[in-house]
Amino acid sequence: MEAFAQQPDDELAQLQELSNKWESDASGPLVSERVSSSAITTEYANADPVYQAKTATLPQKYAQYRTCRGDGHCGWRAVAFSYFETLQRMGNPHKFLEEETRLKSLRNILNDAGFQEHLYEDFAEDMFDLLRETAAANDGGASLLQTFNDPHRSMSVITYLKLLTSAWIQKHPDQFQPFLHQPVKAYCQSHIEPAICEIEHVGMDALVNVLVKPAGIAVEILYLDRTPGTEVNTYRFDPVDHNNAALPNPPTFRLLYRPGHYDILYKLEDLPSIVPPPIAHPAEQRVFLNHHQSTQALPSKLPFDTNNFEIPGLSIFSGPAVSGPGVAWAPYPTYDFSASPISPQPIAQPITQAIPQPRIEATPAYAPIAAPPPPPVSIPTEYYSTTMPLEPPVTSLPLYQPSPIDRGGPFRPSIWEYESYSMPQAPHPPLCQTAIFRNSHYNTAHFNNPDFEPEQWQPDTEYNPSDRSRKKSSHSQ
Amino acid sequence: MQSELMDFMMSAPPGISAFPNDGNLMEWTATIEGPTETPYEGLKLKLTFTFPSNYPYAPPTVLFKTPIYHPNIDFSGRICLDILKDKWSAIYNTQSVLLSLQSLLGEPNNASPLNGQAAELWDKDPAEFKRKVLARHRDLDD
Repeated sequence: MEAFAQQPDDELAQLQELSNKWESDASGPLVSERVSSSAITTEYANADPVYQAKTATLPQKYAQYRTCRGDGHCGWRAVAFSYFETLQRMGNPHKFLEEETRLKSLRNILNDAGFQEHLYEDFAEDMFDLLRETAAANDGGASLLQTFNDPHRSMSVITYLKLLTSAWIQKHPDQFQPFLHQPVKAYCQSHIEPAICEIEHVGMDALVNVLVKPAGIAVEILYLDRTPGTEVNTYRFDPVDHNNAALPNPPTFRLLYRPGHYDILYKLEDLPSIVPPPIAHPAEQRVFLNHHQSTQALPSKLPFDTNNFEIPGLSIFSGPAVSGPGVAWAPYPTYDFSASPISPQPIAQPITQAIPQPRIEATPAYAPIAAPPPPPVSIPTEYYSTTMPLEPPVTSLPLYQPSPIDRGGPFRPSIWEYESYSMPQAPHPPLCQTAIFRNSHYNTAHFNNPDFEPEQWQPDTEYNPSDRSRKKSSHSQ
Repeated sequence: MQSELMDFMMSAPPGISAFPNDGNLMEWTATIEGPTETPYEGLKLKLTFTFPSNYPYAPPTVLFKTPIYHPNIDFSGRICLDILKDKWSAIYNTQSVLLSLQSLLGEPNNASPLNGQAAELWDKDPAEFKRKVLARHRDLDD
């Protein structure tokens, strides 16, 4: 501020005039595709340090964003688009019908505000049409994006929302009048209803209250400005239920506000289309830990004798004849124990060759087993002592320890399950970046570095004959 | 536009009329009758409306064709009225514009005149103002 104070008045006036005239880039799509929010960081790379710090932390929390064209409607459009997109993300077709009914019931406040029905019915109808279309669409939001990039249709929806906002403010003058310097009616006519007027904070508050919160959707507005700090300031609107209690875990959309402009931000969890790469399911390898299930697949190579394989309390394993409590298991075709002719002796030696291959083939045998949770399986220790050398998993255990994956099976988790990850069949999820990739030309991360300057090839230096001779000599040394 | 035309034909208020030119829906000709108890009483004023392609999200261009002497209207017939500029709203239409113009005739906004002399006379010398209005007025017929 001191630096400004020293400047002559006319220069300040000139700066002020420039600032007043400045408008953000009014080109580009009305609502863009989602792009990585690291672009915001790049955009502010040469801005003042507060912006640099705030935008640097932004992409960590908010993976992607959409730009809205800064044509004086961006705030309205950002809310409208996000409202539809969030409804779609909720994935409940009835929600759209519910919203249509609710908005139709707001006709009262429109009429009370003095809007004539024949003047707003076209805009309202466009809004309801879009609700119905979005409910029926199953295209991941492509048609919604297309509609919002149609100037006429998106303006129609925006106009409807402006009228609704204006009516809401006029319906609740006590709530909004304290923030206004003129009567609510005059404010609405000059700051809400005009075809080209950007949404102000009062308008945003009213719009969220009339459109978004009653739909059970929360809004976060992130203010990116020059207030000190390293993170953007967040303001959150939470939907409430009939008792004025906040709804738990409401679906949320996020807007990035830079003075005079709104864009849409996404956390990774908000992105419906991007599913984290599937982690190799350990089911196939898990099977063999409970070897009694694999008997059908490996009838002749079983390393142990099922006849002598004892599980306390389960008579099914005690002999070829299925009887007692084990009868309930009989419908599962996998449990054909009577056909096992193997003798008790060969426990140690043959295992090393026999086991690794068929284990994988045993996968299908696992699938039909869902209902009966088996009791703890006690396994002869000799078995493990022989197989351990095959799979040296212990070293890589800590890598996978923290993932609490729901394995969906009836089996209690066992430390032995982790073995499967280290097997070559389980592809590593691309979690870690290798040094090879980091240094390769496929890695474009350096473009995000504001100081990055590509080395320029200059033919003169390359083909200068005198230069070449010098190089040669230097090589020969 | 068509629904607006229908509206207009169904319920045109007294004293104003409007119709598209030669079947061109984007160009309309309108008339206002001067409101009673104003200097414009008994006068018929012709206007043209030109609608932009993004109407109603942008205002129509409205011009007085009839020569008129008024603080907020210049000698080429251009009008200074906020709702035809930045305060335009998509819920306005030809009818509301004509009604606004009609009231503008009786209640000029002398704070931002296009015709400074007219603004001064309106306050200081209503008789001279009326004389100037009648002197400038000329009926158009076509």
